[in-house]
Amino acid sequence: MNIKKQFKEGLITNNPVLVQLIGMCATMAITTTLFNGVGMGLSVLIILTCCNVVVSAIRKIIPNEIRLAIFVVIIAGFVTIVDLLLQAYIPALSEALGVFIPLIVVNCIIIGRAEAFCQKNTIGASFFDGIFQGLGYTVVLIIMCVFRELVGSGKFGTGLIDVANGFKITMDGTGGGIELFSADYGATIMLLPFGGFITLGLLIALMQYMLKKSAKKKEAAAKAVKEGEE
Amino acid sequence: MKKILKLTLILFLVSAIVAGVLGVVNEMTKDRIEEQKQIKTAKAYAAVLPSEGYEELEIDTSAYTNIESISKATGGEGYVVQTTFSGAQGNITMVVGVSPDYKCTGISIISHAETSGLGANAASTSDIGVNWRAQFVGQDKNMAITKAGGTIDALTGATITSRSVAEAAANAISVVESLG
Repeated sequence: MNIKKQFKEGLITNNPVLVQLIGMCATMAITTTLFNGVGMGLSVLIILTCCNVVVSAIRKIIPNEIRLAIFVVIIAGFVTIVDLLLQAYIPALSEALGVFIPLIVVNCIIIGRAEAFCQKNTIGASFFDGIFQGLGYTVVLIIMCVFRELVGSGKFGTGLIDVANGFKITMDGTGGGIELFSADYGATIMLLPFGGFITLGLLIALMQYMLKKSAKKKEAAAKAVKEGEE
Repeated sequence: MKKILKLTLILFLVSAIVAGVLGVVNEMTKDRIEEQKQIKTAKAYAAVLPSEGYEELEIDTSAYTNIESISKATGGEGYVVQTTFSGAQGNITMVVGVSPDYKCTGISIISHAETSGLGANAASTSDIGVNWRAQFVGQDKNMAITKAGGTIDALTGATITSRSVAEAAANAISVVESLG
């Protein structure tokens, strides 16, 4: 398992949202502003990395029969820690994400990675798996947020970018964002769950198309090499 | 039998360790979370009814539904009612400013668990939230959303949240009015 391969898997070939199709509930629900997307993505990244390391570290001493119960306890612990820290230090984010932070406990990305990867791999590999899978998740969230926010409300970076006070990046949720066109012309439907489904569907279709295309290309290249040899 | 004991013990140990860590984190963040809440409440009071100070009335609030506390503005500007009621997803805590002639001077939501992007707009600092809450200013105890025959437009995709907020604000005003 090398890092480069893991990086590619997390972001593209085995992307948690677009290829493994896990953790979609929160993905559709919170991707309405960039502020939410970045906050949620980073929270999941941190929780996932911590859980991966701990699960991997104790993988040899936990009995197989109760491994899921132990994973859930560990995940719930980390989620609660992040939840408390957000409430204390970034209250605006904690408010914007609301119930979706505690719900990371049941986000299948984390238990899925613990089950599929960490209990078979070393601590180091699990650490990078957490980072890259988390990044893959964050990138998808950001793409969806940017698209939905722009089409839905004509803005970019609401809550995150403070234009009025000279292009600052704020984490207190007060930034107005960059207005590209008036919200009156925005398709509000894109901010509703419908928009989440459509955006995610389009992204998955695009991803599958590109993966198929690259697989075909590889096949053709392999064929050409074979013919050349003959 | 031996195996089941072993499994129980291991799960117990893991849970105990996690609980211990959580206890430490909770202890570390407790004060700060409380502080953030107080800052928010103070801001909310000032937003709905600007005044030099607020004095909580000594009344038995359990006699009224959903009312947590009623404070009198020391400068005679009116009253601020803190109320907790059930929204679409969970409890909403809100303060309502009431003028001496029993009109709403503004509402501010302190905590809620409404759907992000829909019901959460009721509390948001964006234009949608600010404009929506502005509709409450000047309303009396008979206020209601348009679907219930009133004049307050409900938030898109959040009729239940809008309705419960309007009902709670109306309730707050009628309680203050009943006090005289």
